[in-house]
Amino acid sequence: MLLPLLALFALPAAIFAAKESTHDSLVKLAAQSGGIIKLNAQTYDLLTSPTRDWSASIQFTALDKRRRCSPCREFDPAWTAVAKAWSTVPKETRDNHFFATLDFDDGTTVFQKLGLQSAPVVLIFHPSEGSRRSANAQTPTTYDFSSGFDAEPLAEQLSSFTPIPIPYRAPVNWALWGTVGTLALVFGLTIRFLAPIFRSRWTWAALTTIISLVMTSGYMFTRIRGTPMTAADGSWIAPGFQNQYGQETTVVASIYGLLSASFLMLTLVAPLQSGSPNRQRTQIYLWSGVIMLLFSVLVSLFRVKNRGYPFKLIL
Amino acid sequence: MLRSFGALCLSLLGLAALTQAGSSSGNSVLVVLQPSLKRDAFSLFFDGLEKKGYSLTFRAPKDDTPVIIEHDVPLFDHIILFAPDTKSFAKDISPQALVNVLNHKTNLLIALSPKQTPLSLLAAEFSLILPPPGMPLLSHFPPRDTAPTVIPITVPADNAVLTPGTPPVWFSGVPQALGANPLLVPLLRAPPESFAADTDKDAGAEAVVDAAEKGGEGLWAGSALGVVTGFQTRDSARVVWAGGVELFGDEFAKKEIEKGVKSGNTQFALDTAAWAFQENLVLRIDKTGHHLANETTPREHYTINDLIVYDIAISKYNAAEDAWAPYSGLTDLQLDFTMLDPHVRTALVPVAGAPGIYSATFRAPDRHGVFKFVVDYKRRGWTFLHSSTTVPVIPPRHDGYPRFLSAAWPYYAGAISTSVGFLLFSALWLAGDDRETKKTKKTE
Amino acid sequence: MPRAYPLPTDLSPATVTNTKSLVRIVAFALISGAAIASRLFAVINFESIIHEFDPWFNYRATRVLASKGFYEFWNWFDPTAWYPLGRVVGGTIYPGLMATSGVIYNFLQAIHIPVDIRNICVMLAPGFSALTAWSTYMFTKEMKDESAGLLAAAFIGIVPGYISRSVAGSYDNEAIAIFLLMFTFFLWIKALKQGSALFGTLAAVFYFYMVAAWGGYAFITNMIPLHALALLLMGRFTNRLYVAYSSWYAIGTLASMQVPFVGFQPVRTSEHMGALGVFGLLQIVAFVQLVRSHVSSKQFNNLLFALAVGAGVVGTVAIVGLTYMGWIAPWTGRFYSLWDTGYAKKYIPIIASVSEHQPTAWPSFFMDLHFLIFLFPAGVVLCFRELRDEHIFVIIYALVGSYFAGVMVRLMLTLTPVVCISAAIALSTVLDTYIDPSEPDLPVPEADETSGPSETTTDAPKKTKKDKTAPPPTSSGASVTELLSGMVVTPPSTSKKGAAKEKKTGIFGTDTRLAVILNAIGMLMFFVVHCTWVTSNAYSSPSVVLASHNADGLQLIDDFREAYYWLRQNTPETAVVMSWWDYGYQIAGMADRPTLVDNNTWNNTHIATVGKAMSSSEEVAYPILRKHDVDYVLVIFGGLIGYSGDDINKFLWMVRIAQGVWPDEIQEPKYFTPSGDYRVDEQASPAMRNSLMYKMSYYRFHELFGGGQATDRVRNQVMPKTGPTLDYLEEAFTSENWIVRIYQVKKEDPLGRDLKTANAFDQGKKRKRTRPPVRRRSAA
Repeated sequence: MLLPLLALFALPAAIFAAKESTHDSLVKLAAQSGGIIKLNAQTYDLLTSPTRDWSASIQFTALDKRRRCSPCREFDPAWTAVAKAWSTVPKETRDNHFFATLDFDDGTTVFQKLGLQSAPVVLIFHPSEGSRRSANAQTPTTYDFSSGFDAEPLAEQLSSFTPIPIPYRAPVNWALWGTVGTLALVFGLTIRFLAPIFRSRWTWAALTTIISLVMTSGYMFTRIRGTPMTAADGSWIAPGFQNQYGQETTVVASIYGLLSASFLMLTLVAPLQSGSPNRQRTQIYLWSGVIMLLFSVLVSLFRVKNRGYPFKLIL
Repeated sequence: MLRSFGALCLSLLGLAALTQAGSSSGNSVLVVLQPSLKRDAFSLFFDGLEKKGYSLTFRAPKDDTPVIIEHDVPLFDHIILFAPDTKSFAKDISPQALVNVLNHKTNLLIALSPKQTPLSLLAAEFSLILPPPGMPLLSHFPPRDTAPTVIPITVPADNAVLTPGTPPVWFSGVPQALGANPLLVPLLRAPPESFAADTDKDAGAEAVVDAAEKGGEGLWAGSALGVVTGFQTRDSARVVWAGGVELFGDEFAKKEIEKGVKSGNTQFALDTAAWAFQENLVLRIDKTGHHLANETTPREHYTINDLIVYDIAISKYNAAEDAWAPYSGLTDLQLDFTMLDPHVRTALVPVAGAPGIYSATFRAPDRHGVFKFVVDYKRRGWTFLHSSTTVPVIPPRHDGYPRFLSAAWPYYAGAISTSVGFLLFSALWLAGDDRETKKTKKTE
Repeated sequence: MPRAYPLPTDLSPATVTNTKSLVRIVAFALISGAAIASRLFAVINFESIIHEFDPWFNYRATRVLASKGFYEFWNWFDPTAWYPLGRVVGGTIYPGLMATSGVIYNFLQAIHIPVDIRNICVMLAPGFSALTAWSTYMFTKEMKDESAGLLAAAFIGIVPGYISRSVAGSYDNEAIAIFLLMFTFFLWIKALKQGSALFGTLAAVFYFYMVAAWGGYAFITNMIPLHALALLLMGRFTNRLYVAYSSWYAIGTLASMQVPFVGFQPVRTSEHMGALGVFGLLQIVAFVQLVRSHVSSKQFNNLLFALAVGAGVVGTVAIVGLTYMGWIAPWTGRFYSLWDTGYAKKYIPIIASVSEHQPTAWPSFFMDLHFLIFLFPAGVVLCFRELRDEHIFVIIYALVGSYFAGVMVRLMLTLTPVVCISAAIALSTVLDTYIDPSEPDLPVPEADETSGPSETTTDAPKKTKKDKTAPPPTSSGASVTELLSGMVVTPPSTSKKGAAKEKKTGIFGTDTRLAVILNAIGMLMFFVVHCTWVTSNAYSSPSVVLASHNADGLQLIDDFREAYYWLRQNTPETAVVMSWWDYGYQIAGMADRPTLVDNNTWNNTHIATVGKAMSSSEEVAYPILRKHDVDYVLVIFGGLIGYSGDDINKFLWMVRIAQGVWPDEIQEPKYFTPSGDYRVDEQASPAMRNSLMYKMSYYRFHELFGGGQATDRVRNQVMPKTGPTLDYLEEAFTSENWIVRIYQVKKEDPLGRDLKTANAFDQGKKRKRTRPPVRRRSAA
């Protein structure tokens, strides 16, 4: 008769205690793993327990090599950096927001539960009670990757969910500055010896030619669109007219280069072979043949990109 | 503009049609009378209307002729629906059809009853909230010999629609709670001590009392209720919802309030009809105009910071001699000069000596764009006035700016000195002797 | 000396020159003919109609100019654009194009040739393409000689990279801008060569014309200073450079500031600071030079030099400082996005959303330039071989142009001329070498002949005599000069005049000559065929009328004009039409109705407002529409015939732009499925399904399939069985192939209900009983 009553009294206390312990354990977890909680299915439920006075941002990723998720690996450093920045804020505010990472291999069930087919995904869970209670506590916000995998936009957007803005500061790129500095130094020291090279017009000619070749073979496209060197299945020609892989840039650039080189051969070198007519003749035929051949290769390559193209040369 | 023109034509038609006073929007009235009601039971009301010059056409709810609307043109200017108990109507009196004719500027006068009918469903669309079926209004005060459902109601004195000093009227029927709709025009409210309950020796009274204890939730009681309520649509067609048809009947009209005092029903009925049929509180915009302060003809565009004059002519319909007369009585008319948001909002004041003309003078904002003169006058019971004139406000022309700025003198000085210097230099250069010039040539 | 083939010897030099000039003239006439003719495919295939989007505005503006005169045009305030903000047209456009065609029109009227203004606008681009060919000829002539010039003219005449922007009917600024570009460059080179202030001034005048005609004038504004700077660094400062640059800059800048749209930019924005800086630098250097030539004390010189350098540094610091203080505006987004390529997508989605601002993949390079693209580097190298001042210009142009063309598709246009020029140089050098009949005489072998240009230092002095472009390096350029002046070693003269004295290099035999020449001719023919094919297939469709090839031949899809004319004839003059900004100019031009936003995207907020209205639900959108007095909403829908350029495909940009202004009301992720892809079928996200754009696109779409499976042929997705419903809008018009759908915005309900309930009532739905509003606070 009494027991259930007691239990009845004990219940709220128990819940209270439980909640306390949840939060504390989370804090502990966060502490021991340097600001980012490494989640699995259980700890995930713990962190996203329906009644919580803390907010959490969770990165769903698949860092394992076998998953072959290159964006995941690309995004992870930014995530870590931001989380580290957060772990520097004073304790009382810090413990109201948790950074966590759930790897696909640790929490497959969670991925299925949330119906995530792609990674990386970042979900922000709002607190359901406490001073920062939000109405849509049960529906996590999805981070918008449209601004790329960089850390700045991540920190900036997450700051609107954390109690205080994340004190993220982009790290100074020592490597870059170092290299620049050393290069400048080396240049300054060796200027005496390098001067003839810099003075020779042909250095500059080579430079100019290479740059214009690379540019006219779609290098900037691959840079800006971040297209891979080759497709996942190893094919190196991207389908479609307004699309290409990194490999194509090299191939096309070298074809262009060879073609113009052979023209230069015909113009500059061949006439100089006034020593022996035969050598000159062979040279001229050789280069003409090369031009014909490479050009037809180029055209056929173009036919692959542009199906409707009606013309073709010898092949 | 066009609206007022149309109204003008209609009023002219009215003039041509008859000699007596009448409505500003035509005088043909269709009366839909349910068979249980006899015409001569409402003789006072109908005769009163006919005396005013209305031509009444009668029709039973079920039969199909005369049709109300033909080829999308309504054949009657006003419709009286005295069919409070009818459950099924002909097709062209369905609620949707009624709303449709209303949108064609046909005015309605509708009587309800405690029964649930298509009309009581229609009332909901006008945000009138009727009590559940079979719950008429009843009141035990003042003590009297009539049934509790037959209630004397004093006519409010301050209502512009009703003639002041009308004696109390007898009412019997269903009350309406009023939703929060600015288009509603309460004409007659229920007495404070009245409430809606079912009739047989008001068994529901306890329910009402309990509800009152619980604090007003869903309570059809007290003077918050209306028994006769007007409604004016956005385009100024008018509807009157009367809680009971007896209000218009001869019986109540003849019935005495107290010894020797006849009830005001006749007067009240005619007043409500007069309002519903666009006889009084009818305004219209005759014309609007705008021009620069020191000009008279309107520009097709104004420049920023111009001083603009806007004026508007308003006239009011006078039922007595059935004519439109300029009206300067509006004290709270105002003009907006808006682009997205009002940039200027100023009062339109009547011009002394020019009846019906209101005018405002203001400076155009320092902001180019497509602006609108907007006059939007909405007052309970009155016709809604709305006029919007679009006019672009443009930046100054290329030669509209001041030519010489005192601030620019450094630049002027610089330009002048440079050109003078150039002249001097070339003069010296040309004047210089050959040897020098040759030398300079060589150095190149 | 031996000859490969005999030449007629009994020709007098006069005859030779006469025939030469005659041939040149004929060739030139033919080139112009080809240039114009190949741009008429559009007119032949379709009709004499204005193309695409921007041209429609230019056309409209030109009509105003022609009818109202120039001053009215200058003060033209267009109240129908950007309703209700309006647009000050006179101050926000480059009037050069309209002015040009206006002048032509008035001239033709004056001599009583009644030509419709539309035809002038349509034919302007082809006409100017002939002029472009001519100016390219002049330019290349300065680089090499007439033969190269003719080749270059022929190339630029028919090269697709230029045709793409100048077919008949594409009445856009580029139509005349390229001619102005080339001619300004030609004049600059001329001025530089002769050091004449006259040509400098002419260059400035045409620069002014260019500024008035195209925003791309910034290219010239930076190319010429770059050239001057390079010359300076190479220690090639001459008085000719000084005169040419100073006259060009001073007059050109002052003139360009007369264009209302440019105003004070030349002295207030970073794009123009380079030119200013080089100007200042030149003054300093010139001053130093002058004093040098008179004073001759070593220390004083050094002092002076230090002074000059100091002045330069101070100038630079001043410019930077002014920039920080905000006196000089930092680089505009459009310009900056050329360097930081991620910039636009992040901060100015409107710019990133334009298709022609995308980076260029190599196929489009090949498509637009064909075999010139690999002759181009060869030509650049040849320019290096004989490094005169003007060649340096070509080299810089090649570098800059190829970079820009790589970053943005539309800048292919600026690359094309230099490609043509240097390709022409390369090809004509080949032909020179192989047509030249004289054979080298078999010499006694010498050591120093096998290696290419190294043997050339021997005849350097002769070269310096022959042309003045390379004086001994003046030490004015200081240390940098020391470093670079090695490049100034005078190149060998490959011109036959030089080599004729004692023929060392050359080709033996006729067969080799034939092989190479035939090869070249074959390529040229292939080039011509290619250009014709590309022009007729890719670049001649006026995107207003679409063509589709199917079983029964070519079929024209004319939905746009159908819809626009419907608007013109069935709606009141003042009916405001809302659409995405791509169609603003066309609506204004063809339907002649006020629009909310159009293709000159000057007001991001207004565009974002439209984006918000399109991407939010009806209830949210309706107040916005009412507030902007919108009467009709126009959407482009390709789902029925598979027209991929429709609004659903552009929808994400609308969302993004709206999100930029209202981040907490519109969020892009909400429009994706939980799995993160963009769908319109059953799985489409609720935000997507409720968005106005989705509803308007697919309203009654499923009915078309009569119960069958409704399929969107652009997205290749099966639509839901029950289509969306509309309460606040009603369908007004849908064109034949459903490409254009127009909806009318309903008026407010006369009974003061919201339109949803009103619709429910009209469909006879019962509304649930309500209870009286609470008037008292509850006692409890």
